[in-house]
Amino acid sequence: MEKYGTTEAQMAAVAVKNHRHGALNPKAQFQKQITIDQVLRSAYVADPLKLYDCCPFSDGGAALVLASEEVARRHRKPVWVLGSAAASDWMLLGDKRDLSRVPATERAAAAAYRQAGVGPRDVDVVELHDCFTIAEIVATEGLGLFEPGAGGRAAEAGRTSLGGEIPVNPSGGLKAKGHPIGATGAAQIAEIVTQIRGEAGPRQVDGAKTGLTHTLGGNTATVLVSLFGRD
Amino acid sequence: MAATESPITARAFFERVRAGQLTALKCGSCGELAIPPRQLCPACHAKAWQPVDLRGEGTIASFTIIRVAPRAHAGDAPYALAVVKLREGVSILGRLVDIPLEKVSVGLPVRFRPLVIGNQPTVGFGPS
Repeated sequence: MEKYGTTEAQMAAVAVKNHRHGALNPKAQFQKQITIDQVLRSAYVADPLKLYDCCPFSDGGAALVLASEEVARRHRKPVWVLGSAAASDWMLLGDKRDLSRVPATERAAAAAYRQAGVGPRDVDVVELHDCFTIAEIVATEGLGLFEPGAGGRAAEAGRTSLGGEIPVNPSGGLKAKGHPIGATGAAQIAEIVTQIRGEAGPRQVDGAKTGLTHTLGGNTATVLVSLFGRD
Repeated sequence: MAATESPITARAFFERVRAGQLTALKCGSCGELAIPPRQLCPACHAKAWQPVDLRGEGTIASFTIIRVAPRAHAGDAPYALAVVKLREGVSILGRLVDIPLEKVSVGLPVRFRPLVIGNQPTVGFGPS
């Protein structure tokens, strides 16, 4: 906020967008829309994060079926893993070189894009780790969808909404779909597979062919980025 | 002075905090500073640490005000936590004391203040 002028209203736009998406997902924890005003008027938890900037505690489960290419081809609508990479960073806040960026996201994304032979512009749909609204903004920058510092304005302008140029968290994300910690990464992949198969119903991203998942842990010290696609 | 493998443990670091001294480690191999203590140099991966006393002066690099605190600190809320960039170049997280919450800002000069919270020595910062 100090460096790029990111505003609390831009952060609120992420929460409103993810609740709007969650309202289209029958499996989301919160299937209720909220307004910018509700977010801005909610109580502070740890400034500048307010109640509606934070994801909930959730119970939930997710499962993935992985198979060899040979087996997968015998079944309906296989979705391929195009790339998957992990990266790490210092965990203590005092050790972070730049508090406005997450180097582990940038490194994991670079490796996953390289493996897949695609770039940020080729991605049609993203499920990323919006544990807090600012985390989504910083992740969209780290994944190369927007320049550093431009993620807040992009969210506010609707560029990451369903119907926007790069829909982010059509499931509702951690914010509205929920954040059952151990299941979150697999649940993100389940959403991307559903999107790539064209089976996401009212929250379907039209023509989604290539999808990305981004999961982090440990104070942004560990990040995993994976890319998925179809034939 | 010969570099040793573990010149200062986490326990010794916090006992020095209790005594009013903020201590960093300096890498005998590449000169990197680190705080609090750790096994390996983050820059060159050497184990050649030497303890260095810091002046305890710095400026706020980033901060938050905790309104909903973990249970053990619930009685203290609201209170401010800040990442403080110390004059020697390293940064560390600490609790702010004796600074009105509305005066806390990025760039504000602060000075190390030893705190004891629940008998546990803790890094704090107060007005410079």
